[in-house]
Amino acid sequence: MKGGALVAVATLASATMAAPAEPPSEPRRFALGLELSAAAGPEDRGFFNYTSYEESTQRLARLSLTAEWRVTERAALLAEVREENLDHPHVYALYARLRPWRERSFDVQAGLVPPVFGAFARRRYGSDNPLIGYPLAYQYLTSLRNDAVPGTAADLIVMRGGGWLVRYPLGWGDPEPAPGLPLVNALSWDAGVQVRLGSGPVEASAAVTQGTLSSPKVRDDNSGKQLSARVAWKPVVGLVVGASGARGEYLTRTAVDSLPDDRRGEFLQQAMGLDVEYSRDRWILRSEAIWSRWQTPMLPQSLGALGLTAEGRCKIMPGLYAAARLDHLGFSRIDGPDGRLSWDAPVWRVEAGVGYMPVRHVLAKLAYQHNWRDGGRVRERALVTAQAVIWF
Amino acid sequence: MNAAALPFLALAVAVEPAAPPPARAVAGSIRGRVEILRDLPAPQTRPSVGDLGMPALRDLPNRRRSVVYLEAAPQGAFEEHAGRSVMDQRNETFVPYVLAVTVGTTVDFTNSDRTYHNVFSLSKAKRFDLGRYAKGQSKLVRFDRPGVVRVFCEIHSHMSAFVLVFAHRFFATTDSEGRYRIDNVPPGTYTIVAWNDGEPRESRTVRVAEEGGVVELDFVVR
Repeated sequence: MKGGALVAVATLASATMAAPAEPPSEPRRFALGLELSAAAGPEDRGFFNYTSYEESTQRLARLSLTAEWRVTERAALLAEVREENLDHPHVYALYARLRPWRERSFDVQAGLVPPVFGAFARRRYGSDNPLIGYPLAYQYLTSLRNDAVPGTAADLIVMRGGGWLVRYPLGWGDPEPAPGLPLVNALSWDAGVQVRLGSGPVEASAAVTQGTLSSPKVRDDNSGKQLSARVAWKPVVGLVVGASGARGEYLTRTAVDSLPDDRRGEFLQQAMGLDVEYSRDRWILRSEAIWSRWQTPMLPQSLGALGLTAEGRCKIMPGLYAAARLDHLGFSRIDGPDGRLSWDAPVWRVEAGVGYMPVRHVLAKLAYQHNWRDGGRVRERALVTAQAVIWF
Repeated sequence: MNAAALPFLALAVAVEPAAPPPARAVAGSIRGRVEILRDLPAPQTRPSVGDLGMPALRDLPNRRRSVVYLEAAPQGAFEEHAGRSVMDQRNETFVPYVLAVTVGTTVDFTNSDRTYHNVFSLSKAKRFDLGRYAKGQSKLVRFDRPGVVRVFCEIHSHMSAFVLVFAHRFFATTDSEGRYRIDNVPPGTYTIVAWNDGEPRESRTVRVAEEGGVVELDFVVR
């Protein structure tokens, strides 16, 4: 029996490899996805992680429902609706995707579309972000607004490190305090049309949209469109190098109309970005550099900002990984009443954590984050935050 | 068979062995067909809202493929076997979708796609993570405990497959027409199970006569 069993086992084991019938192709379909994430951390008194006056990535509960209807092989409708901290649900994505020629890697997307600029904003937040916080360039609120204009350099400098609630006493536009702009807003997408062309290891995409990187819009508020583009190169499997650029009017028409006649015009946000991702075996390494410049009506020079991010993730064992991110946001210098000074306070952040996946579709994260800022009321803040993510 | 059923298989073979056949007994075969009448819709894929273009059409897994096995096997049939099998990753699909092996088998997870794959499993019977590897490369996993191992790709969330690890050799995977055949079964009465797409769907009792021969047994899975 024993000897025969060995032979039989070998025979049966190889028999299990019998080729199945020709697998069917993917049909037309309707697909739903759901992601629920909840982060619990201490109060961020320095507002380092706030994405608006009330919401912080460290205390965020989010329900995200995605849907895709593949109408034909070459046409699909996609949508994502989010509800955050039990607030009103909002539409995050809603667009049509078309591939005019089946054999060509050319796509057109129209509606509330994913940004072509950079890399982070297209990732699914909860499950694709190895940590809990966002990179500073995609989240941190600067002291610049798109609906209000600082009257002088001093008017702007007095708000250094206070981007979560900005008001320019000597300025123009909306006099009420409101949050400032991030370099790139990863919390909402812009409305417009984009095209993507792929050719071998190179993929190029470009978009015309209503808002800007800092302030994506569904409805245009200044009659100016943003042009943005990205070229990605994949020289070998696992390595992606991307270069992005964007240019668009960021000040609202209301803010511009409030200015003295001789100061009105078009005021642009211009940005360039470089991103690199390399992955192999148990490692993923990513880095992004984003440089942005905003033209301001009342200041002689543009306001610049540079965001630098590097992150890595390493799997320690099945279901368990460790990750870390280093982040910096720096700002150009302007002449103020007390000499030359950066127009907003530079920020540094270190975040490190672990993620554990007990079962498929469930991820628990624990992260330590330390923030430093060269200005503002609170200059340093450490946070320990836990997050649970469930998706289907 | 789900994850909760994993210990059952191991326990069943250890506690309820059939009586050893008499010396002159002749082994028989059990063969038949598994007819799948239940609806097997295409597996749900998470919508790719963040993509800048249409994802390529990929193959669908062959979910009609079933495994038929004896729930309790004859004593003496439980030795480990250092066999080899292959589960390929092809057009963003695991091929085959269901792989049945004996304890001790090493499975070769090959990558035939141009993109990275990252095979992993969090199943109790075998937890592993092979990391990311490119086309033409392969990584090995030895399955040393009986049970159902659900396999996924970390990069492509729509990819999944099953590895059924048996403590005995009395099992067979159905072919493209649903046929199966288990040979060299010692005489006795057994519970035989048809497993499909993650669950044991139907179990029956079957008797292999002392003089051996072929027992015909069909299953209908609704």
